[in-house]
Amino acid sequence: MATHSKNPKTPDHPFAHHIEEEFTRILDYYGIVWEYEPQTFPLEWDDLGNVQEAFSPDFYLPQQNLYIELTTLKPNLTTKKNRKIRRLIELHPEINIKLFKRADLRQLMIKYGLDKEAEKITGNQAQK
Amino acid sequence: MASFSNLFSPDLIEGISDVLVSAEQIEQRVSELGRAISVDYAGKNPLLVGVLKGVLIFMADILRAITVPVEVDFIAVSTYSPETRDKGLVRLLKDLETPLNGRHVLFIEDVVDTGLTLNYLLSNLRTRSPASLEVCTLFNKSRHRLVDLPIKYTGFDLPDRFVVGYGLDHRERYRNLPFVALLTPQVVHSGRKET
Repeated sequence: MATHSKNPKTPDHPFAHHIEEEFTRILDYYGIVWEYEPQTFPLEWDDLGNVQEAFSPDFYLPQQNLYIELTTLKPNLTTKKNRKIRRLIELHPEINIKLFKRADLRQLMIKYGLDKEAEKITGNQAQK
Repeated sequence: MASFSNLFSPDLIEGISDVLVSAEQIEQRVSELGRAISVDYAGKNPLLVGVLKGVLIFMADILRAITVPVEVDFIAVSTYSPETRDKGLVRLLKDLETPLNGRHVLFIEDVVDTGLTLNYLLSNLRTRSPASLEVCTLFNKSRHRLVDLPIKYTGFDLPDRFVVGYGLDHRERYRNLPFVALLTPQVVHSGRKET
């Protein structure tokens, strides 16, 4: 699903997690163009060539040629996501991707005074 | 903490855990940056531009470390916050008073983190046709960088932690500390409003 921001108002999107919507609001505020899950990268195939595993980074910033993946999972639960990103880089070393972990996102929310959002990340709400 | 706890009011250093960059280290590095800028900008009468408010302390020190003629001006922009996020785009709160056309401009930053604000400001300043536009930051936190920007002068690379002091604040507090320090997680995540 490729969707562009429509600055200055963030349009409604079926984001998988509320932190993604907040992230797009920040990008919109600073005039950064983004796309939401614009591309799915196959990572593993079976013997018949069928895709067994794939990965869709959350965002692509075309002006920066940068993919962004957000996760609010606790560090001990990010193994699968880390492995997918490592595999993506193995297959596509030309791709720039940055993972914003739980602590990164919490710090980002605090930086912008979004205490409630930071608390949500700290708490035990459903993790993405 | 014992080394500085007797120098400051307890309520100023409450929540400080470790000093990351000492006042002496900052002084030495600012002096080195000042010398480099003085060589590079000799005869160019550069205009130093800073974005309020965090840069105030670094600007005051780097100005005095530069040994060639310079001019200075300040700009202020709105920051994303719960109060501003529904008001559209970032906007200028205070514009420069100095025309930039044909000037050698050195943008002075206290810290570059995501690069979002700096990217906005550099884009804005480029439209004013400066002869050159470079960036000097005392602190660089690249872990959260969303916009890759060319930085000509960097003082220190900082880890991916919430730091305060030497102009850097947490809810407008701690700017006046002469060093850069880590805050305890309890304070960072407290959500309290400082008075």
